[in-house]
Amino acid sequence: MANCVIDCELIRRMLDNGFRNLYVNIDTVDNLNVFPVPDGDTGTNMAMTVEGGVHAADSNKASNVGELMKDVSRGTLFSARGNSGVIVSQYIRGMAEAVVGKETMTVTDFAEAMAAGTTRAYSAVIHPVEGTILTVMRAASDFAVKHAAEFQSIDELLNAVIPVMKTSLDHTPELLPVLKEAGVIDSGGAGLLYIFTGMKMAVEGKMIDVTTDKGDAKLAVSAGTFGSDSELEFGYCTEFILQLQNAKTNIKAFDLNKMIKDLEALGDSIVAVMDDSVVKVHIHSFTPEKVLGYARNFGEFVTLKIENMSVQHNEIEGQKAAKKEHLKYAIVAVADGDGIESYFREIGVTEVVNGGQTNNPSTDDFIKVFEGLDAEHIVVLPNNSNIVMTASQAAELYDKADIRVIKTKSIAEGYSALSMMDLSADTVEELIEGMTEYLPGVTTCSVTTATRDTVMNGVEVKMGKYIGLDGDSILCCEDTALEALIAMLKNLPDIDEKQVITMFYGSDVSDEELQKAQSLISEAYPLIDFGCVYGGQNVYNYILSVE
Amino acid sequence: MRKFAIVTDSTSDLKKETREALNIDYVMMNYVIDTKEYPASLDWETHSVSEYYDMMRKGTRVRTTQVPRETFEACFEGYLKEDTDVIYISCSSALSGSVGLGVIVAEELMQKYPGSKIVCVDSLISSVGQGYLVITAAKLREEGKTIDEVVDYLVTNRLKVNQFGTVESLEYLRRAGRVKASKAFFGKLFGIKPIIISDIKGQNFAFKKVKGALNCRKEIATQIADVVINPEEQTLYLSHADVPEEIEALRDEILKLAAFKDVYINNIGPIVGASVGPGTVIAFCVGKEVTIEGNE
Repeated sequence: MANCVIDCELIRRMLDNGFRNLYVNIDTVDNLNVFPVPDGDTGTNMAMTVEGGVHAADSNKASNVGELMKDVSRGTLFSARGNSGVIVSQYIRGMAEAVVGKETMTVTDFAEAMAAGTTRAYSAVIHPVEGTILTVMRAASDFAVKHAAEFQSIDELLNAVIPVMKTSLDHTPELLPVLKEAGVIDSGGAGLLYIFTGMKMAVEGKMIDVTTDKGDAKLAVSAGTFGSDSELEFGYCTEFILQLQNAKTNIKAFDLNKMIKDLEALGDSIVAVMDDSVVKVHIHSFTPEKVLGYARNFGEFVTLKIENMSVQHNEIEGQKAAKKEHLKYAIVAVADGDGIESYFREIGVTEVVNGGQTNNPSTDDFIKVFEGLDAEHIVVLPNNSNIVMTASQAAELYDKADIRVIKTKSIAEGYSALSMMDLSADTVEELIEGMTEYLPGVTTCSVTTATRDTVMNGVEVKMGKYIGLDGDSILCCEDTALEALIAMLKNLPDIDEKQVITMFYGSDVSDEELQKAQSLISEAYPLIDFGCVYGGQNVYNYILSVE
Repeated sequence: MRKFAIVTDSTSDLKKETREALNIDYVMMNYVIDTKEYPASLDWETHSVSEYYDMMRKGTRVRTTQVPRETFEACFEGYLKEDTDVIYISCSSALSGSVGLGVIVAEELMQKYPGSKIVCVDSLISSVGQGYLVITAAKLREEGKTIDEVVDYLVTNRLKVNQFGTVESLEYLRRAGRVKASKAFFGKLFGIKPIIISDIKGQNFAFKKVKGALNCRKEIATQIADVVINPEEQTLYLSHADVPEEIEALRDEILKLAAFKDVYINNIGPIVGASVGPGTVIAFCVGKEVTIEGNE
């Protein structure tokens, strides 16, 4: 059945299936990595972005396409994460703007919305690069606008547009040398193609069966207020409904008061009621396993819920703490690693957004942090090239404070900015001027494990070995992290002009290795001020700010 | 006209030859290691420069005392007995209480010796910046200026002595309670150099931060060039806490931007050294009057 008119019902299905198709292909998109380092997963980021639109569409009951798309756009803008996610959210925003006031869409309307989306996406990127998702978007919308009149239905349009997108995608390595060198196609473009393919299948009535409940298990990553070093302060809120069983106990003679007494030894805040042969219990306990074992002496559970109360508590405390102080300047920095986070707070960061190389925060993650602050000016340090756009998008969407984003592309750049910060500055411009003074001279060096074999920059990279990087450029590949660290500095082109090295070491670095690293660097570069901080970051053994 | 002596103290960081050539006397504060007190001689008789700063580098905590009452009495009274008046040019009152005690002793002695005069002048600065004011006073005396004229000159011109220095670590100054630093200086930062001036109250104030040793030298040179008036007619005063190469590098950087007639370099003495710590370098010049008041 061909769909000549695109109504809200169809859009909901298209969007949902676009998401589903991307979701089932997440790993394929994630693995289209240019660099042999673990980094921001494009597939995951795009899927989480589109998922925000799917939820918005589900909860919107509008029968007017303009109204529906407005909500979808808002949903994706807030859930956007990673550069590709931000671009997709802007694409959808452009589409929504094109259909304002429309009850339904024609094929031509859809093609024009695609074109408006492409324009929006391009304008969101300061220096658009061809050979990326943008190129694929434009190829699709150019074709669609040109040929829209020839198609009777959206089925036909999508059928024709998908091969065009595929051709454009396959051509991306010719436009972007890094793709060619790495032997991959553009990951964002690939993600977009999966979305459009899913949409096409939806109009054909072929909904993809995602068995894992839309993948919530994988996607709904909690920010986590209970970390690896947290203490269990408040125990578990444990609730269950227990079906008493004849095989285990004499139900008629069951003594609820005795049960309450016994439970008092295992926890507090006990509420227990009995109705016929069913007992409902609520208890706060540090040892829920004992509570459960005890209860099973009498029956089996009908339902069971155990929640870590420290998590709830921390969330509440976090909100309270953030609300309390009115600040002239608040500093929000993205950080990955407990060491970096606490060090950043020590040197003046007001609030940390968790995230980094492999877990890019969403627009909404930033906005939630902004909302918890009471500040005239909020200065944001995204500290990752794949988070800069998300931070900028959050700054644009939030209007209750003056938000400035300093486009720091790495933890090293973020550190440089923070180290020069003077919170007693009279104006926000002065504050930012100080923070950005040395940014052009910061070199970000890092040591990590190669995720595949490749040859880059003339260096032969073997999977599992350690590579030293100057920004994105591979300087060396060695057997140990320590060797890579030293070789990396040796190969750094302008090391002789540098004055300060600040090194963040990861959670996997042993004390012995660290001591060796410190003495080797101090000896090799006696004129450079060298400092060392526990970063606790994942992925990278070492991150160095070389200034 | 009565003769007058020019007396300073251990924070003036003047070389022996300078003091002898210009007939400058000084009263000593003491430095204390563990419980033992040593007179803070500017000629390093007890500990050599490197012995002293190496002790600090290894973590020995050095405390200081102000000029003891007996020292003031002996010095001042000695001059009055010879019908000689005294100008005492002290360490900044924001850094040492010596001038306050000097004033009390002076008043007692002036009653005891009617017609005599002891004037205590708060230099509002320390190290060779204070030393510069002392040298200038001695030269004015040579030119035949009266005690009142010299005092007037000092009081009118003391805030024209500009200080720009840096320390290896702010911890020494913080521990000694002898620095005001803004919010820019919390936390442990690497390669960050504070630029420390002497403000209108004679307090050390970390008013700016710079990253890297070379950038720091350049910043001090730029600041000096910015405030200095007629460098070709004056001496650049430099002092350092046991880092001779660094002070020479700083000198070269400053001379690139301002053509001083002459350069005076000396070690930072044990009293200033105890509160700024090894590795400190300071430059002083005469220029625009200081207007900054530090706050935290």
